[in-house]
Amino acid sequence: MKRIRLSPLLFRRIHKWVGLILGLQFVLWAFSGSMMALLDMDEVGGHDMAMAAAPPLPANAAFIDPAAIPGTGPVSGVTLRNLAGRPVYELHTARGLRLADATNGAPVTVDERIARAVANGMNGAPIRSVEALARPNLEAREHAGRMWRVNFADEANSSAYVSAETGRFLVMRGDTWRTWDFFWMLHNMDYVGRTSFNHPLIIFVGLSALWLSGTGFYLLFKSFGRADFRWLRRRRPAPKKGPALAP
Amino acid sequence: MAKVRWPLVVRRFHKWLALIVGVQVVLWTVTGVYMVVVHIDTIHGDHLVRAPIAEPFDLAAVTPPARIAAAAPGASELRLQRLLDRPVWRVETPDGAALYDAASGARLAPLAERAIRTLARRIYAGRGDIVAVRLLTEAPLEMQSRAPPYWQVEFEGWNRPTLYLSPMTGELISRRHALWRVFDFAWMLHIMDYEDRTNVNNPLLRIATWSALAMALSGAWLLLWSFPRRKKKKKAAA
Repeated sequence: MKRIRLSPLLFRRIHKWVGLILGLQFVLWAFSGSMMALLDMDEVGGHDMAMAAAPPLPANAAFIDPAAIPGTGPVSGVTLRNLAGRPVYELHTARGLRLADATNGAPVTVDERIARAVANGMNGAPIRSVEALARPNLEAREHAGRMWRVNFADEANSSAYVSAETGRFLVMRGDTWRTWDFFWMLHNMDYVGRTSFNHPLIIFVGLSALWLSGTGFYLLFKSFGRADFRWLRRRRPAPKKGPALAP
Repeated sequence: MAKVRWPLVVRRFHKWLALIVGVQVVLWTVTGVYMVVVHIDTIHGDHLVRAPIAEPFDLAAVTPPARIAAAAPGASELRLQRLLDRPVWRVETPDGAALYDAASGARLAPLAERAIRTLARRIYAGRGDIVAVRLLTEAPLEMQSRAPPYWQVEFEGWNRPTLYLSPMTGELISRRHALWRVFDFAWMLHIMDYEDRTNVNNPLLRIATWSALAMALSGAWLLLWSFPRRKKKKKAAA
């Protein structure tokens, strides 16, 4: 086996390879940035969906007193809301979050039927399949806990994520978002989580790229000469050829 | 016809493209480095506010939500929360959020400046005093994404921490500080939307990004071409 010697040649090789990798990331940044600018941000979506108007609570419903729901113990939060047409209490108890029917106090679990109904409130397309997730996948990484993934048979292959704990709609993802997310990963260099853009690798490569673009910008002034702008003065009579123009 | 000298053509192409988009490429890297180096949690101002403590409620002393819901037709959600230690029902109505006293069941008036000051001091995790409190009816540049009205509470400090509170519920809407404002400016330069700072699909950005890609690719070609190719030389010598 060859021994590694700390020679100038070794450093030259490292320099060249680091330069090559940096250059590659530079190209990837330009490409992923171009693609993200090209993908329609409204089709990428995923941000304002949860802001859609919530359905009102049913009028004339006889809501029971949440204090009368048996076996809850001390609660640090109570929310009365509409879960797929049914009024429910969301109770924050010492043992975690509980859902109870707001008219009779019966416990409510977010089953597939509820998940389908909540998802349909956000997207009217026919449902292709429903999966239960024990933990968020890459598409629903901004949320926590158990959830349902409801896949629609629409053009965008949309998937709605519904919390299996609260029954709330979490996020909608479609093919445009999936394409966008791939380029966002190339852009932020977080190849595992795809979320962070404050990790050591990107800080190091970012500072190196700053050096690359800074020196490149400086070289720009060095590499343009009078000859480059000669075409701007083309209309003037061409100067006679002579020794004065020799390089 | 003269033979095309590709290295020369590519070099000219690279140079001229660089002359056009060079400034923007420098701006992209400078703003990119800022956004990468300062952690996003710091930008969001997580360090400026205290996490709320969840304490149990005495449900027996709380007006049942049935009465509140009857008083607020069309409400989509009722949530029990605290306003300065007092339990209140926060009601989401089609006209926005409103508060009802959970003890008496009476609807609460919008918060006055004194209550906003007390609330802001409780939320703020820093030590500085309040410098200014204003009720805004027009969105400032740093709150373009949120609809007014809201209370703007500014604290002293080099980074001018500012909290925005809802006049109806007293809830914290947003927090801003100097590093956020610099980030927002950097983001504007990065996406080249100098008006609203939100449109990542604007034509200027699209043209600039594809030009930068062409510049980077031609630069990469020049880089690879500038490496000595021993095999070809050997072939030529043979």
